[in-house]
Amino acid sequence: MGSAHVRRAVALGVPLVLAILFPLLVNNPYLVSVAVSAYVTAIAVYGLNVMLGYTGQLSLAHAGFYGIGGYTVGILTSDYGFSFWLALPIALAFTSLLGHLIGLAALRTRHDYFAIFTLAVGVMIVIVIERWESLTGGTDGLIGIPAPGSIGPLSFTSLNSQYYLALAFLVFTIYVVWSLMHSLVGRTFLAVRNSEELARAVGIDAGRTHQLSFVISAALAALGGGLYAAFSGSIGPDVGDVPMTFNMLVYLMIGGVASLPGPLVGTILIMGLMQALQAFQEYTLMILGPILILVVVFFPGGLAGQGKVLFERLTRREADQ
Amino acid sequence: MRRIRRRSGSAGRLVLLASVVFLAGACGGEGGAGEDGLEVVPIGFAGPLSGGAAYYGRNVLRGLQMASDEIAESGGFMVDGRAHRFEIVTADDRYLPYETSTAARRLLQQNQPAVILVPHAGGIRALQEINLREPKFLLLAYSSEPSILEAQNPLMVMLPPRFDGYQEPFIDVLMPRFGNRLALLGTTTAYGRAWTESVTAEWTSRGGTVGRDHGVDYNTTTDFTGAVSRALADNPDVLFIGGPSQPTALVIRAAREQGFGGGFLIMDQAKFMEMLDIVSMEALEGAVGVYPQSLYPTEGTPGWVARYHERFGQDFQVPTSEVAINYQGLHLVARAMELAGTTTDPEAIRARIGEAARTMPDELRIFDMGGVTDAGHLTRAVFAAHVLNGEFIAVPIPVPASTQLR
Amino acid sequence: MTLFAQQFVNGIALGSVYALVALGLTLVYGVLKVPNFAHGALYMAGAYVVYVMLTAVGGSYALAIAVAVVVIAVMGAAMEFVVFRRLEGKSSVHAMIAALGVLFFLEGTADVIWGPDFRPVPTPLDGVVTAFGINITEQRILVIVAAIVAMAGLYFLLKRTLVGMSIEAMAQDREGALLVGIDTRRVALITFAISGALAAIAGALIAPLVLVFPTMGAVIILKAFVIVILGGMGSVPGAILGGYLLALAETMAGTYVAFAFSELIAFALLVLVLVFRPTGLFQKGV
Repeated sequence: MGSAHVRRAVALGVPLVLAILFPLLVNNPYLVSVAVSAYVTAIAVYGLNVMLGYTGQLSLAHAGFYGIGGYTVGILTSDYGFSFWLALPIALAFTSLLGHLIGLAALRTRHDYFAIFTLAVGVMIVIVIERWESLTGGTDGLIGIPAPGSIGPLSFTSLNSQYYLALAFLVFTIYVVWSLMHSLVGRTFLAVRNSEELARAVGIDAGRTHQLSFVISAALAALGGGLYAAFSGSIGPDVGDVPMTFNMLVYLMIGGVASLPGPLVGTILIMGLMQALQAFQEYTLMILGPILILVVVFFPGGLAGQGKVLFERLTRREADQ
Repeated sequence: MRRIRRRSGSAGRLVLLASVVFLAGACGGEGGAGEDGLEVVPIGFAGPLSGGAAYYGRNVLRGLQMASDEIAESGGFMVDGRAHRFEIVTADDRYLPYETSTAARRLLQQNQPAVILVPHAGGIRALQEINLREPKFLLLAYSSEPSILEAQNPLMVMLPPRFDGYQEPFIDVLMPRFGNRLALLGTTTAYGRAWTESVTAEWTSRGGTVGRDHGVDYNTTTDFTGAVSRALADNPDVLFIGGPSQPTALVIRAAREQGFGGGFLIMDQAKFMEMLDIVSMEALEGAVGVYPQSLYPTEGTPGWVARYHERFGQDFQVPTSEVAINYQGLHLVARAMELAGTTTDPEAIRARIGEAARTMPDELRIFDMGGVTDAGHLTRAVFAAHVLNGEFIAVPIPVPASTQLR
Repeated sequence: MTLFAQQFVNGIALGSVYALVALGLTLVYGVLKVPNFAHGALYMAGAYVVYVMLTAVGGSYALAIAVAVVVIAVMGAAMEFVVFRRLEGKSSVHAMIAALGVLFFLEGTADVIWGPDFRPVPTPLDGVVTAFGINITEQRILVIVAAIVAMAGLYFLLKRTLVGMSIEAMAQDREGALLVGIDTRRVALITFAISGALAAIAGALIAPLVLVFPTMGAVIILKAFVIVILGGMGSVPGAILGGYLLALAETMAGTYVAFAFSELIAFALLVLVLVFRPTGLFQKGV
C-alpha cells in the first residue's frame, strides 16, 4: 500500500519537476516554443480521448471546436478589446453550447455514422470560417491577437511565462480528466462505451452520457484552441480543419487511447519527432501511416498501454522474487 | 528471460527516440569556414515545404538556392577582406503563421541567421512581432500583400511588387479591346477575394458593369465547367480569373470549349508559361496577366534563364517570378553585406539594400530596381503581358504614386 | 433554358465520377463494414497511373485505363490482405483509423514520388460537340458513357456470376454466407479488388479533365461518404442515384444560388438527413 503511494508520487512528481525545470535546463527558446505547442495541442487531445477513449465515439469535428475556441478568443481580444481572461471562459462556454447543440443532432447516430456526421460538421465549420471574412479574416485568418494579459505581478508576454501558463492549463486539464474518470460519471462513461444496452439495463441514461462526454470534449478542444490563439498571436482556418483532427487522432492512438498519460505522451513524442525529423519532412506521412496501422492492429493501447503492461510485468516480477 | 529482453528493448527504444528529439534540437551548424575556404553565412528560410503549399515553397527555395550556389561558385562575396558564401537553412512552417514563429526560433537557435525569408503574409506578420527583439534579424518578405507594410517594420524588406498596382493597367488594355461587361470567376482565398474587390472597384469606376461573383475555390474544385457555364450566361466581354496557374488554365480551357471569345483578366498568382502546359497560345488570345518571367524585357533575363536551365535541367519547365525575385533578392543581400561590411548586423545590412538594388550588375538585372520605401517596400519596374495575335506584348506597370522612395 | 440544359449535362458528367467512386466505397462497406477512408487515395492512384502511362510509358488511352484498373485492383486487394483482414471482429472505429493510416501512406508516397505539384494529363479526346446551344467535350461524353458501361458490368457481375452472388450473400448475412460454405476471406479480397477497379476507372476517366496531385482524392471521398450515407451504406442503386443527384444538386445550386456555397450543399444535406433519419435515407440492400 505504502509503496504503491510512493510509486504513484514518483510517477507524477518526476515528470512534473522535469516539466517545471525544462526551460531552465534546455535554455533554448525553440525547444520551449515546441513544448508550448505540444502542451496546448495535448489539452485538445485529452478532449478527443474523453470522447473516443471513454465513451467510444470518434468525433471528426474535434479540430473544428479547437478552431472555434481559438477564433472566439482571437476575435474577442483583438477586435473587441476583451481581456484574454474574460475571452477564454466565454470561448469555452460558447463552444460547449455549440457542442451541445451539435451533439443533440449528431448523437442520434453512433459509431461510423457518428464519425461521418461529425466529419461533415468539421468540414462545414471550416467552410464557414473561410467564407465569413468580415469576422474571421477568411483564408488569411486573424492576426495581431494579443498575448494573455497580466494577473497581478504575473505577465505572460515572454516565451517562458507562456510556457508555464500552458503547463498550468495542461496540469489542470489532466486533473479534471482524472477526477472525472474517478467519479461516478466516469464509470457511467465506461459502462456506456463497453455496452450501451447493458448500461441502459442498469438504469444509465446513455444518451445523456454521450451528450456530456461530447460537451466536455468540445470544451477541452476550445481551451486548447483559445490558448493557441493567444500564444501564437494569429490563427487561420487550417487550425480547425479536418487534417488537424487526423493529427490529433494520430497523437492519441500512438500515445494510448483511453489512458491518462496517453494523450500527453503521444502528442509530445510525435510533435517532437516531427520537429527533429524536419529534414525528412516529405516522408512523415509515408512513415506515420504504417505506424498508425501497426498501432491499431497490434498495440491498440498505444505506448501508454504497452508501458502499463510493462510496468505490471515488472512489478509482478518483483513481487514474485 | 524473454520478458527482460523485451523490457530493455522497448525502454531502450524510448531513450533513443528521446535523445533523437533532444539532439536534433540542441545541435546545429555554426558559422565558420566551409570546405572551399569561404566563410559560411547562414540565410534562413521559414516557409511551406510540406502540405498543400509545398510546391510554392519549393519554388521560392529554388531561387534562393540558385543564387547561393552561383555566389559560392564565383568565389564568394567579400566582407572585411574575406570571401563569404551563403548556406540556406530551412524550416518548414506548413504555411501556418504560428509555425512560422516556431520555425524562425528554430533557425535563430541553431544557425543564428541575420536574414530570414518568409514567403506568405501571415508568417511575415507573425515574424514582425519578433524580428526587432534580440536576436534581431532582417525579414525578407515575399508577399505582394500591401498590408504587410502597415507595421512600418524597420527591419523588413518587401521584395515583390504590390498586387494593387496591376488592376489599372490590366483594365486599360482590356476594356477598350473587348467591352465593358466583366464577369467574376476568381479563386476564393483571401488573396483572391482582395483581388476581386480591387478589380470590381476599378472596373465600375470606369463605367463598366460587373456581374455577380461566381468565384470558386481553385484548390478544391474538381470540375470548373459548371462555374464557367454560369459565368458565361451573363454574356461577359471579359472574365476575371485566377488562382494557381494550372487550375486557372483549366478555367480558360473550359471557357473556350464553351465558345467564349472575349478577354481574360488574370490575377498575378497565375503564370502564363505554366498555363501553356495545359492550354495553347490561341486559347490565351486576349488575356492580360503578369509578364512571363523567362521572357522579361530586361538585360539580365536571357542569361539568367540559360543558367537556370543549366542548373535544374529542362525538368522544371520555365522559371517563374517566385524563382526570379527571390534569386535576385539573395544577390541583393550579398551586395548589401559587402556595402555594409558586415554579415551579422541586420540594421547595417538593411540600410544598404536600396543602394545595392540600384547598383546591381547587368547580368543580375532581371528587374530594374528603384530603392526601398520608408515602409520597407523594394520598388522595381514590372510589366504586364497582353496576348495579342499570339504574342506577349509588354505593358509597363506604373509604380503607385503613394509609394515614396527614400 | 439553355443554361439549365448546359448545367444538366455538366452535372451528369460530374455525377458519373461521383457515382463510380461511391460505388466502390459502398461495396466495401456493405460486405465488410469498413468505412474506407483510403478509397479516395485509390482514385488518386488510378489517375497517376494514367498520367504515367500517357506521359512516360506511351501507348493508347484505352491501354492506360486498363493498366490503371489492374494495378489499382491489386492495390485494393493488397489493402485487404495486409491491413483489414487483421481487424476482423474489431469495431468499425478501428477499421476507420487503420484506413486513415493507409490514406496517409498512399498520399505520402505519391508526394515523395511525384511531389505536390499539379500535373496536367494530356487530353486524348479534345474535340467539342455542340448541339441545341449546349457544348460538351468528347472526353466528357466518354466519361458519361464509360461510367454507364462500368455500372452495367458491375450489375452483371453481381447478379450473374458466382463471385458476385457470394458478394451479395455476404453483404446480406455474413454468418449465413459462412454457413453455406462461402469462403468469406476470398470474397473480401475480391470485393476490395472490385472496389479498387471502380475507383481506378473514375480516376482514369477524369484525369484528362482535371489536375492530378497527391490529395486530389480528399474532396471526392468526402462527397462519396455523403452519397453512400444518403443512398444507404451498402446500397448499389443508392450510390448510383446518389452520385448523379448530388452532382446535379451542386451544379444547380451553384448556378442559381452561388458557386462559393455549392460545396456546403453535400455536407448540409448529410447533416439534415441524419438528423431526421439516423440510419440514412434508404434501407440497405445490394
